[in-house]
Amino acid sequence: MQIDKQKCVGCGNCHSVCTMGVIYLDQDGKSVVNQEECVECRTCYRVLRNEGHRPWFVRAVRRLLRAFRLAYMAEPDVCPTGALSPPDLEWPRSLRATFSDPSTVHEGTGVHGRGTDEIKSNDVTGRLREGDVGFVVELGRPGIGARFKDIQKVAMALAAVEVQFEAENPVTQLMTDPKTGKIREDVLEEKVLSAIIELKTKVERIPEVLGVLEKVQHQVDTVISVGVASRCAPDGSVPHEHWVREAGYRLSPNGKTNLGLGRPLFKEC
Amino acid sequence: MTNTLHRQGDVESLKGDFVVFAHTAKGKNREGSATKIQEFMRVCLRHNPVNIGDAKQGNVHQDDIDIHKLISRQGDGAAAAAVFTDLGTLQKVVEDLIRADLGICINISGLLEEVRDCCKKAGLERHSVEHSLGFWGATEKLPEKHILEIHTMCGHGMVSFNLIRKMIEHVKLKRLSPKKAAKILAKCCECGAFNPARAEQLLDRFRKGLT
Repeated sequence: MQIDKQKCVGCGNCHSVCTMGVIYLDQDGKSVVNQEECVECRTCYRVLRNEGHRPWFVRAVRRLLRAFRLAYMAEPDVCPTGALSPPDLEWPRSLRATFSDPSTVHEGTGVHGRGTDEIKSNDVTGRLREGDVGFVVELGRPGIGARFKDIQKVAMALAAVEVQFEAENPVTQLMTDPKTGKIREDVLEEKVLSAIIELKTKVERIPEVLGVLEKVQHQVDTVISVGVASRCAPDGSVPHEHWVREAGYRLSPNGKTNLGLGRPLFKEC
Repeated sequence: MTNTLHRQGDVESLKGDFVVFAHTAKGKNREGSATKIQEFMRVCLRHNPVNIGDAKQGNVHQDDIDIHKLISRQGDGAAAAAVFTDLGTLQKVVEDLIRADLGICINISGLLEEVRDCCKKAGLERHSVEHSLGFWGATEKLPEKHILEIHTMCGHGMVSFNLIRKMIEHVKLKRLSPKKAAKILAKCCECGAFNPARAEQLLDRFRKGLT
């Protein structure tokens, strides 16, 4: 994101809206973006309505108020002068927006947001079949952000135990070799709001995969949200529950349910 | 839409938080899905969701969003979501969606046993289930629990920790009502999965000094 210093009046609204907390007030009293840490999610640009005021007018009002010991405070969801503008991004920086701005569609998967289907369409794709378990390992979430070098560390650790990375996933599509989990060199320093490593294996291997995550979590400089999924048995029971508990982990009371209303329904042979 | 998976909060609070969303798969049911997704949105809208939208066009709490125009502009594969705050309404939504027989994939995020009961009452057995195993890694970087409860209602991470803190301060200082503050937070969530009614309740606890 870019801030036009000619227009900025330093109200600070973009500082709090920034998902990464990387907009700050410069010495000249104008806001500035730490480009190294910005993930190009465009939240500031989308959320802060451009009031369209002339900068000189806002500054004059502010000076006048100050004379009466009053402070100027803009509504929290506006940019008084429309100082924010999303730049045209070139590769590999464009990857930041693709992963961080949910209104962007991932070219490789045709899916918005983080670009993954996981169980959302399992009723028609059969991505997870009887005996399978799927993991979604999302680095950077909640609210911290992640660099691909950390995402690679986790992917490589998981690849070492020969899990199957989902081909229709934006992170897998950045791997130079899904057998090793290695991600292409030119994107490793790029930072995104979050990115999801998506894999499947057999349900009885849940303890092994969780063991890998247990170890590698201490090697990354970010947070990881972990999700686990499976296709329900005919009676509606959830096969992965037993194995997760067996491995000593707690399952959330809430989660996601695919109702099975998609058509044509996938049928296992 | 893993963005609805890791919602935080105690069971009592989660009882008022159900996200219904439509999804399609490339080469399966995405092509030609526009009218079906539009119908999904209309079905949800009839039951007065507290939020509704799609990731491409935004949600009803954003400036200048006309929900009927938003629905009419939805194309194939639009990621549509609606939020409901009670099981009774969710039950009716599910029954209407079964009757509509749209053929697109329908998912619900929320308390799993409650959603299962809801499916059973409607004559359905759930197809697939996903659980959260919580937050791992450098969790010392995470903010306080009450900030996370609000933040995780937009799993894409569009509602910043700092904005939540600012809204709490504004509510405490009576600069904003919990309702108005919750609406500002909801503006940030692009896809409409954020629950402003629950956010309002959580913010109201700050106003009353209960948190």
